[in-house]
Amino acid sequence: MASTIIGAGITIEGEITTDDEVVVQGTVRGKLTAKDAVTIESGAVVEADIVGGPLAVAGSVTGNIHSSDRVDLQPGARVVGNVKATRITIADGAQFKGNVDMDV
Amino acid sequence: MAETNIIGRSSHIRGRITGTADLEIAGLVEGTVEISGELVVAAEGRIAANLNARRLVVRGAVKGDLSATEAIVLEEGARVVGDVRAPRIAIAPGALLRGYVQTGQQAAAAPRAKAQPAAAAAPRTTNNVRPTAAAAPARPAPAASTAATARPAAAQAAAPSRSTPARTAPAPAPVSSNHTGPARTTSGNAGGGGAKAGPPAPTVPVLKKGARGTLQKRR
Amino acid sequence: MARSTTRPSSDLGQARIGSGARVHGRIAGDGDLTIEGRVEGDIFLRGELTVDASGSVEAETVEADEITVSGTLQGELRVKGAVRALSGARVRGNVQGGSFALEDGAEFSGRVELDFELPAELEEAQPARGRR
Repeated sequence: MASTIIGAGITIEGEITTDDEVVVQGTVRGKLTAKDAVTIESGAVVEADIVGGPLAVAGSVTGNIHSSDRVDLQPGARVVGNVKATRITIADGAQFKGNVDMDV
Repeated sequence: MAETNIIGRSSHIRGRITGTADLEIAGLVEGTVEISGELVVAAEGRIAANLNARRLVVRGAVKGDLSATEAIVLEEGARVVGDVRAPRIAIAPGALLRGYVQTGQQAAAAPRAKAQPAAAAAPRTTNNVRPTAAAAPARPAPAASTAATARPAAAQAAAPSRSTPARTAPAPAPVSSNHTGPARTTSGNAGGGGAKAGPPAPTVPVLKKGARGTLQKRR
Repeated sequence: MARSTTRPSSDLGQARIGSGARVHGRIAGDGDLTIEGRVEGDIFLRGELTVDASGSVEAETVEADEITVSGTLQGELRVKGAVRALSGARVRGNVQGGSFALEDGAEFSGRVELDFELPAELEEAQPARGRR
């Protein structure tokens, strides 16, 4: 299945559900649920709860993140919300505010 | 056995055209056209009529509804204002259209069926579909009788059909006695006096209002 | 492992709702977008919208610069340029656009409103009464 790419100029308001990978470069407001990897690129703005597989964040997320795998916040990431994952890394330069739950 | 009949560019027909053969229209036609063969509106064709055929190809201008039992093709250069309904429809990117488009079986309407409404049109077409003997009321008006091209005026009476010298033989019409057979006729006929009898009377419109001289002959 | 955020360059500039994705909500923005999955909601795109054979869009309104459909599309289509329904497409809704093309094998039902004039001779003429 081709992955889903929400390009930089695109805004989606509503719920996104997918079985495959998602890359967000634009804006998502609502809810994002994926069964596979989720990548929030630099410049992306997500105001939504995210449920997914492994998650890499370099952009802005306001919402709770629930991953079945690991969550990596990269430099430049800005996350406000709770994170539940099996592992988490927060790079130097990433901003994070919320709870972390690694009990899976 | 359909043969192709042609209504030439300088013809002007007002009335109803029906038949079983194939028909190509490059002239000006006002009224209704119901053909059970293939109908082609040439690039120079100008039609103010509802068109019904087995297959319809439009390259010219049509103001009226288009309906086919098999397929309709609007080619580049076509200009259509009216609804388009057929099991299969193809529209080229250079075709221009304003109207409702519906593909699929239920969209097709049998050509003959339409006849009635047209008949209602009344004054104009007298005959309605059936060959009815004419009585042809009309006639006189040179008008176009359907199909008939040219001649009627000249013919005025008398058997119109026939021949029309020219090319324009329109329609299948029995009139011409041709082989085409029974079908409806349309053709022109002069209706009027004489003629009728033998071949089914062609439908001759009764033109009341300032009938226009029609049928310009093809040079 | 989560992927890094550098994407292969072939993906740059490609916006796509993948075949396994479903969006319930409004999509808006700039740039071309290809839909291979399912979208329920309006789309307002300054760019070209492509609905692939596996894609389906159910909307009240879809606006784009151009639309090419091979899948299912339902909604009022308002397009600056071309609307193309390819063979296998199923389209329902009215179309207002610059040009309209329907391939043999496409299903379509709706009004098409392109802007043009008929030859003068036909402007006043009327088909026989009792249409259809």
